[in-house]
Amino acid sequence: MRSIIYYIREFLRPEWLKNFFFAKTAPLVTPPYFKDYPSLTGEECTGCFSCMMICPAPGAIEVLRRKDQWEPEVYPGHCIRCGLCVEACPEGVLASGRILDITRHDGTAFRSWYRLQVDDTLCMRCGNCCVSCPINKQEDPQLGATGTSSSDEVIMRIEGGRVRILHEEKCTGCKTCETHCPNRAIRVARMVEGVHEEVET
Amino acid sequence: MSILQGIKNAVRSRSIHVSYVDVGSCNGCDIEVLACLAPRYDIEQYGIYVHNNPREADVLLVIGSVTPQWVDKLRDIWEKIPEPKVAVAIGNCPISGCVYNRRGTLTDPPAEKYIPIAAQVPGCPPRPTEILNAILSVAPLVFKDYEEKLK
Amino acid sequence: MKKTVDVSIPLGPVHPCWKEPVRIKCETAGERVLRTEVELGYMKKGIERIMRGRPWQEVMFLAERVCGICSVVHNMVFIEAMEEISAITVPPRAAYLRVIANELDRIASHLIANFSYCYTIEHETLAMYILNTRETVLDNLERLTGSRINTAYMIPGGVRFDLLPEDAAAMLADLAKVEEEMKRHVRIFETGPLIALRSRGIGVMSREEAIKAHTVGPTARASGVPDCDLRLRHPTYQALDFEQVTRTEGDNFARIMVRFQEVFQSIDLIRRCIETLPDGPIRGGGFCKAGETSYSGEAPRGELTYYVKTDEYGRVVDIAIRTPSIMNIEACAHSMIKDVTSIADVTSTFISSDPCIACNER
Repeated sequence: MRSIIYYIREFLRPEWLKNFFFAKTAPLVTPPYFKDYPSLTGEECTGCFSCMMICPAPGAIEVLRRKDQWEPEVYPGHCIRCGLCVEACPEGVLASGRILDITRHDGTAFRSWYRLQVDDTLCMRCGNCCVSCPINKQEDPQLGATGTSSSDEVIMRIEGGRVRILHEEKCTGCKTCETHCPNRAIRVARMVEGVHEEVET
Repeated sequence: MSILQGIKNAVRSRSIHVSYVDVGSCNGCDIEVLACLAPRYDIEQYGIYVHNNPREADVLLVIGSVTPQWVDKLRDIWEKIPEPKVAVAIGNCPISGCVYNRRGTLTDPPAEKYIPIAAQVPGCPPRPTEILNAILSVAPLVFKDYEEKLK
Repeated sequence: MKKTVDVSIPLGPVHPCWKEPVRIKCETAGERVLRTEVELGYMKKGIERIMRGRPWQEVMFLAERVCGICSVVHNMVFIEAMEEISAITVPPRAAYLRVIANELDRIASHLIANFSYCYTIEHETLAMYILNTRETVLDNLERLTGSRINTAYMIPGGVRFDLLPEDAAAMLADLAKVEEEMKRHVRIFETGPLIALRSRGIGVMSREEAIKAHTVGPTARASGVPDCDLRLRHPTYQALDFEQVTRTEGDNFARIMVRFQEVFQSIDLIRRCIETLPDGPIRGGGFCKAGETSYSGEAPRGELTYYVKTDEYGRVVDIAIRTPSIMNIEACAHSMIKDVTSIADVTSTFISSDPCIACNER
């Protein structure tokens, strides 16, 4: 008999009744600090392609030319939402969650540079790499169809039976030469380093 | 639209049995589907019951990029589900292969080559709020007027 | 001649108890299960082959996605292997932030393992309580790194983002709440009579068998194997006075209790880290050079080893990953499941040894 009274008193407590009738599960909102798909901030994109070079997922971000300006476009089915492109952009065109604010507050950045590597035993002097390189075409409009060039400002040209690299520092890391080489003889290394400049507090 | 069809629409949009199959993923999306079952993002309050028996399912959740062992078995599981049925792809892996779609991989994305997929939830992994939003917006539409569309 | 084995029952790839596809064939004689055989291979994606020839900023994401539950520790062991090859030093603030992220992920992984076990025993109430506590822990991981799973927080030379002071205060408040809830759940688990009926004395593995089968992680620590926690050899953990947790019984109950106690230990470690967090930069710079090394760390399931070989451009030439579940699953199939009473014990013993099949076949 006493146990019945105990149970009735337990279930008639105001907080138990409130939880029983009015409890709701959490609303479906995403917190503001979640790294979502990068969105455009409205800053001017200069078309430097740093975001495309650092992206680890194949086919996730592409910088397209619309009318008279560049604009990066993110494809949600491929993007893994890592936030590297947000941190790598020098202008701050992309934003995701709190990443841009924290990066500016800390003073951290990614530094990247590109190196070329040619395997002499595989190169067969076809010239695909020199012809497809966009910087080559910019430097020497009269580039030969087999990759020979008379100008000394190109990044690489065919000379004496193999590819000779003249100006490695002009490479932007687009890997067009690597995808067009039939032997995978030329390879581009995209090297990235995370740095932290001291911020005065 | 007859009354019987109206009743069927109302019932099918409020009580859905979901079965999930993992065809070779990293387990991240799997754990997010389990987190949907947790009391915080309670998915059972909407009448959606998650288990993994294909024979009593309405919706099949495909998680993961297709590994060589699952290439022949995914179609078998799809055939076992009785009509009406729909497949939803969760995560980036069944859509495009995520980071595994590179030179030297053993997987065979996308999953659309093997079974017909009706909806996709991108993300690596998608947050439980995103999975719930996607399922709740797809649920009333996917079985609407199913018998009339068959004719 | 009378046959001793009646029929071989397959617990198939698609099963309500486990989330990943694995096939276990149980050889039964009547109701008793004499032996089991584990058949793997449903999750092989060839990750190590994809990683060859890629720079570290792409291999880091692939290494994380070997296993989604213990993704932070894969990231940490790979980055620390690269730092060991090129002798890069990490600033002290970054080392402490790494420990915070690692321990938060460890708590989340242990809670998922225990949820899985309680769900297999059909004690769904306790399972849902544990899963709800895990949500608070993942909230804090989101505050620190920006996403719940597959965080990509560590890079060679440091970490990516800093911890703001208001986030640290919120984290401490949440950890106090988590500790209080966990005490209540452990009390329910320890004193429940039906849980004891299905856990105590089932799947016993003695200390000699555990050492002979090379088990690692909480599975080995529950059988009393001494000195098998690799965090004892890590300099940051040594500075925080870390001690390992062991028990001696070696049955299902001991394995789950070891994980609960490690959760309390992790909460303590995070609290000490936040209170003694040093100031300074969070990235030290530094680039990966050529070399090779073999580096081990402590994943939530045991000892994780990365053998990495790089070239002078920072690309990975050769890599081999050895995950802890490889040893634990074989030990489970051979030593723990011998002549058990029914198939229900097979599933609960298998889940109590915390298999991670995605880690197992990359």
